[in-house]
Amino acid sequence: MADEVPRSWRDPDLLIKALPTVLLQTTCFLAPLVMTFLLTFQRSRNFQLQWSWDLWTWTDVFSKPHYWTILGHTIFMAAATVAICLIIAFPIAYGLATRFKAWENEIKVLITFAFITDATLKIYGWALFLDKNGMANYALSSIGLPPEMVAFLYTDWATLLGMVYSLSAFAIFTLYLSISNIDRSLILAAYDAGAGKFRAHWEVTLPLCKPGIWAGSVLIFLLSVGAFLEPKVLGGGKSPMSAELIRQTFETRVNWPLGAALTLVLMVVSVFIVLLFSRLIGLKRAGLAA
Amino acid sequence: MIARLEGRFIDIVLWGSLAAILIFFYIPIFTLIAFSFQEGRFLTLPFEGISLRWYGELFRNTNALNALWNSTLIAIITTVIATAIGTMAAIAAVRYRFRGTDAFRLLAGVPLAFPQLLLGIVLLLWFSVLGRMLDFSTGISTAIIGHIVYITPFAMVIVAVQVYNFDATVEDAARDCGASSFEVYRYVTIPLLWPGIFSAAIFAFLLSWGNFYLTYSLAGSTRTLPTFIFSGIAIGSSPLYPAIATVIFIPGILLVILANRLRRT
Repeated sequence: MADEVPRSWRDPDLLIKALPTVLLQTTCFLAPLVMTFLLTFQRSRNFQLQWSWDLWTWTDVFSKPHYWTILGHTIFMAAATVAICLIIAFPIAYGLATRFKAWENEIKVLITFAFITDATLKIYGWALFLDKNGMANYALSSIGLPPEMVAFLYTDWATLLGMVYSLSAFAIFTLYLSISNIDRSLILAAYDAGAGKFRAHWEVTLPLCKPGIWAGSVLIFLLSVGAFLEPKVLGGGKSPMSAELIRQTFETRVNWPLGAALTLVLMVVSVFIVLLFSRLIGLKRAGLAA
Repeated sequence: MIARLEGRFIDIVLWGSLAAILIFFYIPIFTLIAFSFQEGRFLTLPFEGISLRWYGELFRNTNALNALWNSTLIAIITTVIATAIGTMAAIAAVRYRFRGTDAFRLLAGVPLAFPQLLLGIVLLLWFSVLGRMLDFSTGISTAIIGHIVYITPFAMVIVAVQVYNFDATVEDAARDCGASSFEVYRYVTIPLLWPGIFSAAIFAFLLSWGNFYLTYSLAGSTRTLPTFIFSGIAIGSSPLYPAIATVIFIPGILLVILANRLRRT
C-alpha cells in the first residue's frame, strides 16, 4: 500500500484534488440538509410555503400516531430485509472467496449486472412475474396446482421480496471482501487444533468477517428505510412505508415543511438505531475481551 | 472420511445456493425479455404469438426515443464529471494525510448510505427554494447535479481500491529522473490508475443511465428511460415497456463485462 503523504491545505496539489468534492458535497448535500431542517420550522398554507418560524409542524408530527405507525412498519421491514439479505448472501460470498475460483469472474459479472440494472425495470419484472395472470401462476397452474397459490403480489411479503432483491448484492459484496481478507492460516490452525469444518467456520471464519457483516447491515438498513418502488409497485401501496408517505406529503399535499420534518425523523431514527446497535455490539466485544 | 463428507456437503450447499440466487436475480430480467416478444397487446399469459412487433413500435415512439436521448445525455455528462471529481478525491483520501482527513473521507462517502429518494427530495427542496430566488426551475441540469452528488462517491470508492494498491515509489522514480509533476501524472499516475478510473466511469454511466429516484424528483417535466417506464407501469402497460427493458439490458451487460475485464488486467 502507498504511504500516506502529509499535505497542507495550502498545497495546490491537495486543493485541486480535494476541493471539488468538498464544494460539491457541502453545496449540494450538507447545505440542502441544513435547509431541510430550517424548513421544518415553517408552515404550509394553501399549498404555499410560509416563513413563520414556529414549532407548528413539529407539533403536528409528534401528535399524530399515524406517522409513527408507518415509521415503525418501515423500520421493521428494513430490519427483516437486513436479516434475510445476510442469510442468503453468506453462502454466495463464502463460495466466491473460497470455492468458486474457476467461475469467479463469470459469477461476479452476473451478480453485478443484476445489481446495477435499473431498479424500476427489475421491480416491474417482478410485478409481471407475480401478477395474477403472470409467469408464476401460469407455471403453477400448468403443473396442476391451484393458481391462487400466488396471491402474493400486493402484500407485505412481495414488498419484502423486492427489497431483499434490490439490496442483497450489497451484502454479497461486503461479505465477500471481508471473507477474502481472512488469513487462511488461521482456519488451517483451527483444523490442526482438531476442529471440524463446521466448528472452524463457526468459531473462526464467522467472527473474523464481523466487519463485513456490520458494513453490509448498516448499508442495507439505511438504504431500505428509503424503499419506495417496492412498497408502491409490489406492495400495491396498501401498507405504505415512510418513503411513500414522504413522497405523498410533497406531491399530493404539497406540504414542504411536513415532508421535510418526516424526512428528518426517518433519517435521525435510522441513524440512531445504527448507533445503538454499534454500541451494543461494541459493548459485547469489550465484555468478551475482559 | 468425515472431513471429506463434510467437504462434499459444503460444496453442494454452496453451489446450490449460488444457483438459487442467480435464478432469483434473473427472474424479473428474463420475465421482461420474454414479454417483449409477446405479440398481443396485453402482458398476460399464455402468449398470443411471438413477434418483434413491439421493437418496431419502440423505434417509432418519439416519447421513448426522447427519453432514451435524455438518459444518455445525462449519463454522459454525469460520468465525465463524477469520475473526474471521484478520482481526485480517491487520491486525496487514500494517499494524503491532512487536517481533517477523516472528516473529508466521511463527507466524500456519506451520500452512498443516504436513501436516494430522500436525497432526491432534499435536493428538490434546495433547488426549489434556490430556484425561486434565482429564477430557474428543475430540469435536465438539476437532474445532472443530483446524479453527480450521488455517483461521485461510487466512483471514488472504485478508484480508491486501485489507489490503495498503487506503488508510490514509481512516481518518486519518475520525479528523480526529472519529470515535472504534470508529467508524473500524465505518464505515470494516470496510466497506472487507468483500469480503476475506467471501470469507475462504466459504473458511473450505468448508475446514472438507470437512475430512477433522483431523476424522478429532480428532472422536472423531462422524462428519462426509467421515469418513462415508471409512468408506463402506472397507466397500465403494453409489451412496449418490456421491449425497452430488453434494449437497455444489452449495453448494460456488455459494459459490466468490459469493466470486469479491465479490473483483472
